[in-house]
Amino acid sequence: MTNKDLISKLRKLDQIKPSQNWVVLTKSQILDHKPDVKNSFTFQIPDYFFNIFSPKRLAYAFAAMLFIIIGTFGFAQYTVPGDLFFSVKKITEQSQAAISGRAGLKQDVAVLGTRINELAQVAKEGRTNNISSAINEVKQSASKVVESLKNGDIKDAQSAKELADEIQKIKQLKTLADIIDTPEIISLDNALMGLVQNEISDLEKATLTEEQKESLKSIKEFYENGDYATALEEILTINKSIK
Amino acid sequence: MDSSLNEQFSRIYDQYIEKIYRFVYLKVNSKETAEDITSKVFLKGWETYQNQAVDIKNPSAFLYQIARNSVVDYYRQKGKAKIVSTEFFPQMAENSQSIQEKAIIDSDFEAIKIAIQSLKKDYQDIILWHYVEDMPVSEIAQILGKPEGTIRVMLHRGLKELKGIVKEA
Repeated sequence: MTNKDLISKLRKLDQIKPSQNWVVLTKSQILDHKPDVKNSFTFQIPDYFFNIFSPKRLAYAFAAMLFIIIGTFGFAQYTVPGDLFFSVKKITEQSQAAISGRAGLKQDVAVLGTRINELAQVAKEGRTNNISSAINEVKQSASKVVESLKNGDIKDAQSAKELADEIQKIKQLKTLADIIDTPEIISLDNALMGLVQNEISDLEKATLTEEQKESLKSIKEFYENGDYATALEEILTINKSIK
Repeated sequence: MDSSLNEQFSRIYDQYIEKIYRFVYLKVNSKETAEDITSKVFLKGWETYQNQAVDIKNPSAFLYQIARNSVVDYYRQKGKAKIVSTEFFPQMAENSQSIQEKAIIDSDFEAIKIAIQSLKKDYQDIILWHYVEDMPVSEIAQILGKPEGTIRVMLHRGLKELKGIVKEA
């Protein structure tokens, strides 16, 4: 007998098959059999664990989470410095600025304006617990504005005007005298003074009409009196007419 | 979760039930014993599958390994005495002297089946897997944890021994 014959005969052994009745019966018996959990040392994950991840529950959980997130961000808009969710409000401001593309001095001035309004609100409502936080926030924002001014971020007179207005607002918070004399606000005031001074120098070099020359005189007077906001407003008007 | 496991194991069962039954049957040469051992093999496989304690990457290797161990246990329990169904008594009673005769009478099919019984256990397994079940050498090597070269040598020797048994008979 050759190997080929032998192999051929071996292959015929695959005709050995179990009875179909036994196959079907055994299958149903085996698949119905539950493992003996008491004697099993393997880790069993409870069914409720998988129930948590059912699509319906996941959808509800997602909706609830979305509601909480939106609620938190919405609520945060009404907070003032010293409140629990104030940091969320700051994050929202940064995100909004990033989305709108607003950056540099313009953004810093806008933030300073918001912080000043919050300080005014806190002072008005007599929320003594929030006052120190609100003052710190104003100082931080003012420092940031000064930094932007030093970096020469100021390009348009509109930002300068807005900045002057914000400084005026701070000065109007008479009940909070301690903030006006802080180094941050003094340096902010000085920065604005320098800005007005530079603008006046530029205007002096420019060719002006008689009417504009009169305006420049007024600007100088406002500057000497420390009214930088009005001075900048006038500068803005002249600049517009020159262009 | 459970129904998915059921479906997965059901497919494995359908794919391997005949192979495992045949493998066991050719070792124990008894329909009842083969059915009994085969059902235990799949029951054990199903329990392991449900517990997920073992990551069954190769169901074939996994089931054949259970089957081999189950056959060994079976013979150990029976005091290493092969219990053979009465339907095979005529062939087995005069195993060594009448294989050829029975082969002539009952066909080559029966002769080769009985000749396999006389093979060494390791040869038996690889001959059945490779020539009856068409299992590649690489998979046999994986199941037995031996190099493929060793398996090829064993196949060659096993076939030679089987030929010798058939010739003698």
